[in-house]
Amino acid sequence: MVFNEKIVDAGELKHIEGKIELYWIYTSGEAGDRFFKALKDEGKFLAAKCTCCGKTYFPPRIYCEYDFSETEFVEISGEGCVRAFAVATLDNNEESLKNPEIYAIIDMDGTDGCIIHLLGEMDAEDIRVGMKVKPVLKSKEEREGRITDILYFKPV
Amino acid sequence: MTRVAVVGAGYSGFNSNTPDLSWKELMYEAAVRAYEDAGVDPRKDVDAFVTCAEDFWEGFAIFDEFVPDQLGAVLKPTFTVDADFLYGIANAVMIIKSGLADIAVVEAHSKASDILTFGEVIKFAFDPIWLRPIGKAHPYYFAALEKSAYMTARGYSDDVFAKVVEKNKANGRLNSDAPYAGKVTADDVLRSEAVFYPIRKLEIAQRADGAIVFVLAREEIARELTDTPIWVSGVGWWSETSNYDTMSFTAAYARKSAEMAYKMAGITNPARQIDVAEVDDRFAFKEVQHIEALKLAKSNEIPELVEGGYFGRGGDLPVNVSGGSLSVGNLLEATGGQKALEVVLQLRGEAGRRQVDAEVGVAQAWRYIPTASGAVAVFSR
Ligand SMILES: [Zn+2]
Repeated sequence: MVFNEKIVDAGELKHIEGKIELYWIYTSGEAGDRFFKALKDEGKFLAAKCTCCGKTYFPPRIYCEYDFSETEFVEISGEGCVRAFAVATLDNNEESLKNPEIYAIIDMDGTDGCIIHLLGEMDAEDIRVGMKVKPVLKSKEEREGRITDILYFKPV
Repeated sequence: MTRVAVVGAGYSGFNSNTPDLSWKELMYEAAVRAYEDAGVDPRKDVDAFVTCAEDFWEGFAIFDEFVPDQLGAVLKPTFTVDADFLYGIANAVMIIKSGLADIAVVEAHSKASDILTFGEVIKFAFDPIWLRPIGKAHPYYFAALEKSAYMTARGYSDDVFAKVVEKNKANGRLNSDAPYAGKVTADDVLRSEAVFYPIRKLEIAQRADGAIVFVLAREEIARELTDTPIWVSGVGWWSETSNYDTMSFTAAYARKSAEMAYKMAGITNPARQIDVAEVDDRFAFKEVQHIEALKLAKSNEIPELVEGGYFGRGGDLPVNVSGGSLSVGNLLEATGGQKALEVVLQLRGEAGRRQVDAEVGVAQAWRYIPTASGAVAVFSR
């Protein structure tokens, strides 16, 4: 039937709208906990150095993904260099954002890792790959121990 | 160990939307056509079924439980791989080679038009602690960052990506199942809105619906069923990492999965031995990345080869002669299915006006934003 009796009257087509309303807590884990506490309480940045190969991870984690051994936390400046950037003009629903957002991959100084975050206090035309940037944090009272405690990165 | 062949292929679609059929009916249409093509009865002849789906694309949980009826698989061994169709091919090959089945079926589909919040679903794949809370932009920005990193690493200008769009949109004009085919020049692409700079609007594959079903069989049965078995001569799959800080952004996942598939297929010089390729082009830069990763050309030669038509329909190594995802649309987990389908049709000589001369073909798919994972399958006549 499906092959020779197609619905051709669009008015007859039926569908039901649905949604999934679900909630979680996402545990940040040992590495995340250490990182976000240091960020929130002291405005400091932590990375994690592999005790075996010396590779320094950012974002920090408690194991090295190459040799599967443990890491130790090391403090870093939080500054870095722009490796790549993108200027987004549309939101999740593909509608125009009021203000375009500039995202960047920022190679973090003193690590082998990087962060993906927003750039601020600069125009898209002025961004150059390789430019040095530093984080702008929320005030200590406003910080919640989340990645959004970093508002954006701005030119050094 | 037995060889494994594709003995039947069927599909439904591909369309920008399919309001008259449910996703199950899409699967049913594709399955009926595949079984007709193979000359098999799923209730009697098929030993195992593999479906490829991701719960969040579907909008409900435990997708595998929703499968058997529309494939003729009730009371039969089935399972779902939450990955692209090409991972399903790899699983079917293993099931047959291990002797667990003589005939196995692989299915994947997209009912993307049912998804009202596509951007939100992709965002759900972003790390909830480190990435998802940042900014309000559509997750396409992640692909734009990857393109930016890749262009810088390789020193490519935007012309090469614009040319890819022009080529694929033109190829799609000979494919009646390519809803996004069109007459678009590289200049049009470069002039289209930079919605996610450096990605422009025309560099993004729009969503499409469809389903693909393959019937695979071991060698002796394949030869009984068809005069044109298409051998699955190699399969490979590979993941880099889920962490953006250790991703290559140069498609190492595709390079390694291709190496795995080429080794199995005995291919030592892919640039010479592969006659036709269908690679993931859901963003134009991904095609270039994947051509490089599949070693279809040396990276420093790719811009010149793209410009000179080497990968065009009449070129030495046609890539995405179907029109690719830029013409057919983003089929979610069925993306690799459309690519494998095109390779099979080309090797059978059933590709109609877009037929090219080919004995060996490769299909490749990526697991989409924000992953660094993918799979490859090599087919031969
Ligand atoms: Zn290590």
